[in-house]
Amino acid sequence: MTITSVKTILPTRFAANSTEKPAAKPPPEPYHAQDFPFKGYQAPQTDGFERSRAHPDTSAIVIDNGAHLVKAGWSFDKNPRFIIPPVMSRYRDRKLNRQCNFVGHDAYLDATTRGQLRGAFDPGSSVVGNWDVMEGVLDYMFLKLGVDGSNGGVDRPIVMTEPIANLGYPRRMMNEILFECYSAPSVSYGIDSLFAYRYNKGTDGLVVSSSHTSTHVIPVLGGKPLLSNCTRLNWGGLQNAEYLMKLMKLKYPTFPARITDNQMEDLVRNHCYVSQDYDRELSGYLDWTGLEDRDRVIQYPFTEHIVVEKTEEELARIAERKKESGRRLQEQAAKMRLEKLVKKEQELEYWKSIQATLASETKKEIRRILESEELKDEAHLERMIRDLEKSIKRSRNKDLGIEETEEQPEEMSFPMLDIPDDQLDEAGLKEKRHQRLMKSNVDARARAKAEKEREKARVEEEERLDREKRENNFEAWISERRANRQSILQRIKDRDRMKADLGNRKSLASQQRMKTLANLASDGPKKRRRGGDDDDFGANDDDWGVYRTVATGDQSDEEEEEDLGAMLNGAEAELLQYDPEFTENHTLAAQTDWTKSLVHGFLRGPWPFDPESQREAHQLHLNVERIRVPEVVFKPSIAGVDQAGLIQIAADIVNQRFSGTEDRARLLKDVFLTGGNTLFSGFEDRFRSELRGYLPIDAEFNVRRASDPVLDAWKGAAQWASGADFGRSSVTRQEYLEKGSEYIKEHDLGNATW
Amino acid sequence: MNQLDIGHLHKPFRNPHWKPSQRRNRNLKQIIAESARKEASVMATQANSGATTPFTATGSTTADGTQTPAEGAGKTPNLAQASQNLSSLVLEKNARANFPTVTYTNIESAPSLTAANHRHYCDITGLSGPYTDPKTRLRYHNKEIFGVIRTLAQGVPETYLEARGAHTVLK
Repeated sequence: MTITSVKTILPTRFAANSTEKPAAKPPPEPYHAQDFPFKGYQAPQTDGFERSRAHPDTSAIVIDNGAHLVKAGWSFDKNPRFIIPPVMSRYRDRKLNRQCNFVGHDAYLDATTRGQLRGAFDPGSSVVGNWDVMEGVLDYMFLKLGVDGSNGGVDRPIVMTEPIANLGYPRRMMNEILFECYSAPSVSYGIDSLFAYRYNKGTDGLVVSSSHTSTHVIPVLGGKPLLSNCTRLNWGGLQNAEYLMKLMKLKYPTFPARITDNQMEDLVRNHCYVSQDYDRELSGYLDWTGLEDRDRVIQYPFTEHIVVEKTEEELARIAERKKESGRRLQEQAAKMRLEKLVKKEQELEYWKSIQATLASETKKEIRRILESEELKDEAHLERMIRDLEKSIKRSRNKDLGIEETEEQPEEMSFPMLDIPDDQLDEAGLKEKRHQRLMKSNVDARARAKAEKEREKARVEEEERLDREKRENNFEAWISERRANRQSILQRIKDRDRMKADLGNRKSLASQQRMKTLANLASDGPKKRRRGGDDDDFGANDDDWGVYRTVATGDQSDEEEEEDLGAMLNGAEAELLQYDPEFTENHTLAAQTDWTKSLVHGFLRGPWPFDPESQREAHQLHLNVERIRVPEVVFKPSIAGVDQAGLIQIAADIVNQRFSGTEDRARLLKDVFLTGGNTLFSGFEDRFRSELRGYLPIDAEFNVRRASDPVLDAWKGAAQWASGADFGRSSVTRQEYLEKGSEYIKEHDLGNATW
Repeated sequence: MNQLDIGHLHKPFRNPHWKPSQRRNRNLKQIIAESARKEASVMATQANSGATTPFTATGSTTADGTQTPAEGAGKTPNLAQASQNLSSLVLEKNARANFPTVTYTNIESAPSLTAANHRHYCDITGLSGPYTDPKTRLRYHNKEIFGVIRTLAQGVPETYLEARGAHTVLK
């Protein structure tokens, strides 16, 4: 079944998008992405070790082994002494011929070290995967903390953090390293977020820890974690950065600079925020008003191609030189013309003298003279003289600057044509033929002229009718014009679609084209079937149109393109002139203006984009991403994580697993947020308002954030290590040797054995 | 640079005889597979114990044995049922403390079943995405974005889908 009638549906033309042309925005304020977190040399601090000599059994080395940052210090410190990313760059330097190890921030020293960068943690998880790097990090920490190793070991108890429900293998490896490589006297492990909670003096509550690699929700009652009810969401700060990286690569696929993970982390940290009402804020995020505030421009380093500007003086000199050479050429030409003129005049004189002599000569003499001059007859001579005279006159006029006047060619008469052939001799026949040619020439010219006149009259008549119609029946006229414009737009659209379709080998348009080509190539039976035996291709002018349909590429529809554009411009100009409802804003040019484009707003913000400018090509624009990236932890499905969002997890724990008991009230009274991923502005408010919606109306509910979501875990661990629990909960070297490398002691802030 | 390099520094605290295994680096997948095998073997022994009905003796055992003595009996009526499979429930009820109740894998959050978490967003811009292109399966915001989708080079729609985790994985 085919569609037989196509009706153009006029859209409601004066839609909402036909607002006033927006005013230009002030130029953006570019931000820069931090490149590599290189911090310079950090001197070792040996005073801590000296101080710990007084109580070597209770002064512990506290290491918060985070996937983003490893913090280390002494249990009597207020703050961690060293904070480094768990990375190491190890390679053999050929020049120095030795093994080089760069750990932490130092590994970002230069391109060589960055090239060999390895992380300790298995990518995207809180589990240590590369133990060589882990050892390097520990080496670095012990060196910087001034451990002297006088008895061949670290010689101080060690407190370390580990992920919730740590796997057996990583714990075994860590134990092996700490006890066997570093000969630690005792080691104990705890969970970072619980340390943080303890540090913030919490005993009953819901700990929500959103850190670098994952987000956990742990209910704590009476100072003890209910680990069987804790839940993990596999999303954290690292995933945020990775997601932003993916989005940026998709948004700017041809971005000229290298986008690094560190930069993305930096962008997430500095420009993203948690939206209080995601869907509402999202719907207006790319609106023109205020987009300059929502759009953040990240400028990457670039080198502008410098266009060599010529000075005024140079330009003047060049112009002068050009003029000079032009003048010289003109002079030369004039001289040549003059020479030619003189020559022509001489010739004319010569021919005239011949003509004069001919007049007084006998016929025979005339023929002889003519023959010697290679002329046919006297008429020929006359014609030559006439031509020469004409050309001399023309060139004289040109020299004198007199405007050439198109002289009306004298009315030609063709007397010979009426005489029948048999009454003419050979010369006469020749002359007749010549005259016939001339006559048909003249006739054709006259016909063309008449045709032109007629066409002009027709156009005038049309215009007149048009005007009449406009004046008498404006409504009908204007609707006709509008329909006309619509049809042009439709044709443009069709053409564009056709062009796009031809790019695809499998599209209908391409297949049709191939069929036509095949038909044209085969002059066999196919043609016969269509139009009978005789090949009359080309008899009709339209037949040649088939070649236009099969041609692709540049040469194919250039003329047509011009045509449609010009037609549209004409139609729109007319509408602009007569249609009171049609304004500048309704023209296609205005409708497709970049200020109206959502995609432009998304890619380039509310500023025009100049593809030539290197500066603008090296810019990233963050707009929707600013709320899209931190939103994932609330709606993991955005990034394709098939897990419930943080709010749902928390609500599920509170409502399903502790429903109807006083425990729930105790949990809700103290909901505690910690971890670097909760640092987004608006995180706390969003969490509070959204979780509120899942709770009974009379539930007492309080949300607070850790005093320092990043460092509180270390501080809590240090505080705990100074207390009495620490001694009871640490595994001594003796116990390690006896009970195996996976043995741990359970305590209120650590993992459980099984 | 010499200053930053810790490769040549003397580290007296290290045991000079420490020789780690060459193949000690394992990724998370390997570790989880290994621990799953271990758990399975524990389960197999437990399954033969005879008392495998999960609903017996409810309230007489705590969820995680020694770990949460503060809760006391009957205070955790709703165990993390959603996040554990039946056999692990069985185990939990059976044995006292001899097997994993909390493991790296079973504390993972379950998929969300509420519609609010499955709202559609435009794959290109991130705005709301009420439409789906049947050809590329990309969600889009309006017809302008649709125009962009249709001009994407081959393979690009797949990377957009990958960002949403909806791409086709060939195995």
